Amino acid sequence: MNLDLTPEQSAFRDEVRAFIRERLPQDIRERLRLGYLPRKQDTVRWQRILAERGWAAPHWPRAYGGAELGQVERIILLDELQRAPAPVPQVFNINMLGPVLMKFGTDRQKAWFLPRLANLDLWFCQGFSEPGAGSDLASLRTAALRDGDHYVVNGQKIWTSTAHVADWMFALARTDAQAQRHRGISFLLIDLKSPGVTVRPIRSIDGAHHLNEVFLHDVRVPVDNRVGEEGQGWDCARFLLANERSGIANVGACRERLDYARERAARTRRGGRRLSDDPHLRHEMAVLDAELRALEVTNQRFLLTPSAQAAMPAFASVLKLRGTALQQQLHGLLARLGGAAVREHVDDEEVDGVPHLVERYLFARAGSIYGGTSEIQRDLVARTLLG
Amino acid sequence: MDFELSDEQRALHDSLTRLLSDRHDAETRRRIAASPAGWSEPLWRQLVDLGLAALPVAAAQGGLGGRTEDLMVAMRAVGRSLAAVPLLGSVAMPAAALQAAGGDAAGRWLPALAAGDALLAWAHDEPAGDGGADWVTLRARHDGQCWRLDGCKSAVHHGDSADRLLVSARLQGDDGDADGRALFLLAPDASGLQRRSLRLIDGTPACELALQGVPAEPVAVDGDAASRAIDAALAVGMAGCCAELLGAMESALALTVDYLRTRRQFGRLIGDNQALRHALADMQVSLEMAHSMSLLAALQADAPDAPLSRADLHRARLVVDRHARLLAEAAIQLHGGIGMTEEYAVGHVLRRVLVLETVCGDADLHVAEIDRSAPWNNSPARISSSV
Repeated sequence: MNLDLTPEQSAFRDEVRAFIRERLPQDIRERLRLGYLPRKQDTVRWQRILAERGWAAPHWPRAYGGAELGQVERIILLDELQRAPAPVPQVFNINMLGPVLMKFGTDRQKAWFLPRLANLDLWFCQGFSEPGAGSDLASLRTAALRDGDHYVVNGQKIWTSTAHVADWMFALARTDAQAQRHRGISFLLIDLKSPGVTVRPIRSIDGAHHLNEVFLHDVRVPVDNRVGEEGQGWDCARFLLANERSGIANVGACRERLDYARERAARTRRGGRRLSDDPHLRHEMAVLDAELRALEVTNQRFLLTPSAQAAMPAFASVLKLRGTALQQQLHGLLARLGGAAVREHVDDEEVDGVPHLVERYLFARAGSIYGGTSEIQRDLVARTLLG
Repeated sequence: MDFELSDEQRALHDSLTRLLSDRHDAETRRRIAASPAGWSEPLWRQLVDLGLAALPVAAAQGGLGGRTEDLMVAMRAVGRSLAAVPLLGSVAMPAAALQAAGGDAAGRWLPALAAGDALLAWAHDEPAGDGGADWVTLRARHDGQCWRLDGCKSAVHHGDSADRLLVSARLQGDDGDADGRALFLLAPDASGLQRRSLRLIDGTPACELALQGVPAEPVAVDGDAASRAIDAALAVGMAGCCAELLGAMESALALTVDYLRTRRQFGRLIGDNQALRHALADMQVSLEMAHSMSLLAALQADAPDAPLSRADLHRARLVVDRHARLLAEAAIQLHGGIGMTEEYAVGHVLRRVLVLETVCGDADLHVAEIDRSAPWNNSPARISSSV
């Protein structure tokens, strides 16, 4: 056993750090430090810079614009990006759809979509959840009926992050109403400019617009834009979700928030003393520091060790449960530190220099809901123990 | 980075687990705990025959290498069996101290420890101390002929079975100073030494020492050597506690899984109830965090001089202690009434947790040490109060 990086891996970390230091636009970094989520233009601008090294799609083959990084290098890159803090490569394009296309897509689909996904010429969103299909995703009802070379799609998607700025949506739709419920689903790529698509905003509790409803009314989708066979959509979705694991713990993002909390505490005075002199606060931060280290080592142990994955097949659930719990604690801590920023939300086209910590705390409540609620994750862990 | 056990470590784990599960069931544990000595010499001899006593000692002194990661494998198996075995406090910690100190005493005692022919007791904690490395008030003076010690030591595990007591003492400076500490060996029947025997809450035999002008053999009286020796012993002790707690947690979780699979109420297995399944899932999450930190502690204990290592050891102790307590309490809750009985092993896990939480420093100390290592900006204050 050892926890050391090889000399090559250490050199890679140095290379990533130097690249970020030289190339990350200062305004983007400052926005993220203040607690804002990256805007579309931030992610596009930065991802195209990362693409110079293939780091826009770190684990993809070079032929499609990736860097073919190994698992350790992927962990290092993500960690450095999150700790900078810098936007991470757009997850719907890079972590979700890209690998699905590589495994299930046709040569034409790969050749046309993959370079555009890597360079963010196309921004994809994910059309999985529906009003009646949340945790029970397979109960989805959006229907795609075959009409010659097209599917005619009718239905409604909900909680669709970034749909209002997206170009395309990958979606699950029912192509066979008679089939057993997992088997009648297909995986479609839908151009959101198609007639019949309506995107309606959902304001979330942080006052901002990340989420949407997407209404699909007689939307014609070419059969060529189906990924995999008809009825293979559930397999595609399972494969996609399994690929989410490498970033699921979000260790670097938590570490960056803890560093920021320490920094703010050290320059915030309240009641005649610096917050960093409050022993209760320091105790809380020390505990978070230790728990975060445990998450970090657990993340490395699971991602790098096949025997550890075999011993706990639901390891991704373990990482998500712990990662989201710590994120929520950290955002709660930061919201307290940023007490002066409790003000009504104003849509933030420009950084106004005011930390966005309370809003981030509010939005962080979503962490234990999206991508499988914590209750679903606990079910999965318990099933490995009890059957 | 590599988290896999080596083939040798796996073989050690398997043979030790087999021996302990064959020879040390719950009934045997109770019988041993009720015996006058409180531990089983025959069981210990069998473990010595497997090479356990030689594990913490360097090859040059007749041992098997003295790597903490090997010791961790052993301590985890010991923890799982809940056996009261004098491996950590009476062999591994003294061996680490002697190896770091060097000199005559090391040359004499290390081969005897490795062969299982001798036990030394680690006597460092004091009644008013914080369990940390620096708190030493017991005084040492040279009277022209020999060294003599005056003061008190507490919580000396297996002190009544030791061939010699390895005692920390202060040559100069204030009670909590890092400088001015020393280490001595003294005979259990030395004149001026009073031992008060007691049993800890988990049945571990221990004693308190009161010393008045007790003649002692110097092991390290040069401040640097003493610091190195005490740090080395505490590093091994912290990592060993983590591993033992991990094993104890595994046994509590396994008992709970079995119980949820067999106990029926309301006409069905209680393991079918989601509330219980989710509590079990949280126990598994705790176990995974403890597992990772136990590995981290073992690897860092072999490099105790690095500042990062020291902080990581305290992080590991804090995380493992916290999650061990959570898991043991939950295990009792999920068992219901039977978990409250003295005969049933799950309650003994909680007792063991309570004892190990106090070995090599408690949560307050770990929090203070983590805080001290934090990158605070212009904020030198160190927290001292418990929260």
